[in-house]
Amino acid sequence: MVHSVTLFAEYLREGRLKLDKSVFGDQRCTYQDPCNVSRNGGCGKDAREIIQYLCEDFVEMEPHGDYNFCCGGGGGAIPMAGAFRDRRIRSGKVKADEIRATGASICFTPCHNCYDQIRDLSKEYELGIKVLSFKEMFEEALIIPEELKAKEEDEEE
Amino acid sequence: MAEKVAVDPQAFKKAVDDRTNARLKMWLEICAHCGLCADTCHFYLSNDRDPKLIPAIKGKKVLEAFKKKDKIDEAFLEELYWTVYGDCTMCRRCTMFCPFGIDIATITSTGRGLCVSQGKVPENLVKTIESYYEYGNQMEVSEEDWIDTLQWMEEELQEELPGATIPIDKKGANLLYTVNAREPKFYPMDISQAAMVFYLAGEDWTMSSKGWDDTNLAMFAGDLKAAGYVSQLVRDAAEELEVKRVAITE
Repeated sequence: MVHSVTLFAEYLREGRLKLDKSVFGDQRCTYQDPCNVSRNGGCGKDAREIIQYLCEDFVEMEPHGDYNFCCGGGGGAIPMAGAFRDRRIRSGKVKADEIRATGASICFTPCHNCYDQIRDLSKEYELGIKVLSFKEMFEEALIIPEELKAKEEDEEE
Repeated sequence: MAEKVAVDPQAFKKAVDDRTNARLKMWLEICAHCGLCADTCHFYLSNDRDPKLIPAIKGKKVLEAFKKKDKIDEAFLEELYWTVYGDCTMCRRCTMFCPFGIDIATITSTGRGLCVSQGKVPENLVKTIESYYEYGNQMEVSEEDWIDTLQWMEEELQEELPGATIPIDKKGANLLYTVNAREPKFYPMDISQAAMVFYLAGEDWTMSSKGWDDTNLAMFAGDLKAAGYVSQLVRDAAEELEVKRVAITE
C-alpha cells in the first residue's frame, strides 16, 4: 500500500516526472498536511520533497508536518453533513487563521476531506484562496515531451 | 439526527465488554487530567476554550460509558453521540502532547462503536455503509457508471496525449490505483490527471472494475464489521489482479 504523495515523490526523485516550477512562480503557496497522510501516515517528508520541485514561493503553516492542526473535516466530518456542519465550520477557525497568516493565494492538499473543508473555510472565513490537489498542480506544471503531445491535425479531428 | 431513541442496555453492555482490553483500560484510567492536551485541540481553540472540548474531558465521556455498561439512558447516549461524532475528528494531535501518549482517537472510535450498538450513527454515514454493501463504494456508483467514467476520462486525456490510456483489470500490473468515490461522482478530472501522471512516469498500472474505492467511512462510523468488509474489497481486487503495489489517491 502506497499513498499517492509517496509515489509522486518517487517519480520526481527518479526523474520520471519533470515539473516547471515557474508556472506557480508568482503565487505564494502553502500546504495542508492531512492528519492521516502526515502525522498518522508518515508522508509529510515526501510532500516536502514534491514541493521542492513544484513551488518557488512556499510558506509553511505554523505548526505543520507531524504537529499540524486538523482542518476540521476529518474523521468522517464532511460526509456527516446535516447538523454536524456548523461544528465542522466552527472547528476550522484555527486552520483558517493559520492559512491567512501565510499570506498564500494557493493552499494545496492531498486529501479530499481537507480539500472540501478548506474550500468551505475559504468561503466562510473569506480567505480568498484557491484550493488545489497535487494532481491539479501537476496538470499545469508537468513538462510534456513534444513527441507525446497530440499533433495539430489530431486536434482538429 | 437521532434515528432511534430507545436504548438497548444489554446491547450496550455487550459492546462495552467486546471492546474492553488492557490497553484501553490503561488509557482510560491513567489520565491525570493535567490539561496539556487542551491547547492541542482545534475544537477547543476554535470554540473560545470551552472546557467541554478538552480531549481528556471528551475521553472521560467514553470512560463513563465503560463504567455505566447496562445502566445507560437516552440522555447519556445523546451526550456520548455528540461528543464522539461531533466534537472529535480523531486527528491524534493531542496524543503527540500527552505525557502518557493516550490515544484519544482510539477512545473516540471506541465510543463510536458503542453508539453503533444502539443504531445511533449519523444518518449520512449509515447511507454510505449501505452503499458499500450494495455498490462496493460509498457513493452508489454502479459498475457501469464507473467504467463509463473511466472511458470518458481516457477519451478526454487522449485529446492531449494520444498515447495515454486508463487500463482496466490489467492482470499482473505493477500498480493498482484506487480512488475516493467522490472522484467519479464529483471530480472525474482527478482520474484523468492521475492517468496523465502515470503515463508520463511510464508506470505499468491499472484500475479495477471492482474494489476501487479506497475510502472507509464505516471505519469512521465505528462499525468495525462493515469496515473490515470495505477494506477486504480492495484487498480482493489486488489479489485478483495479482498486482505488486496498491496506490491510494490523494
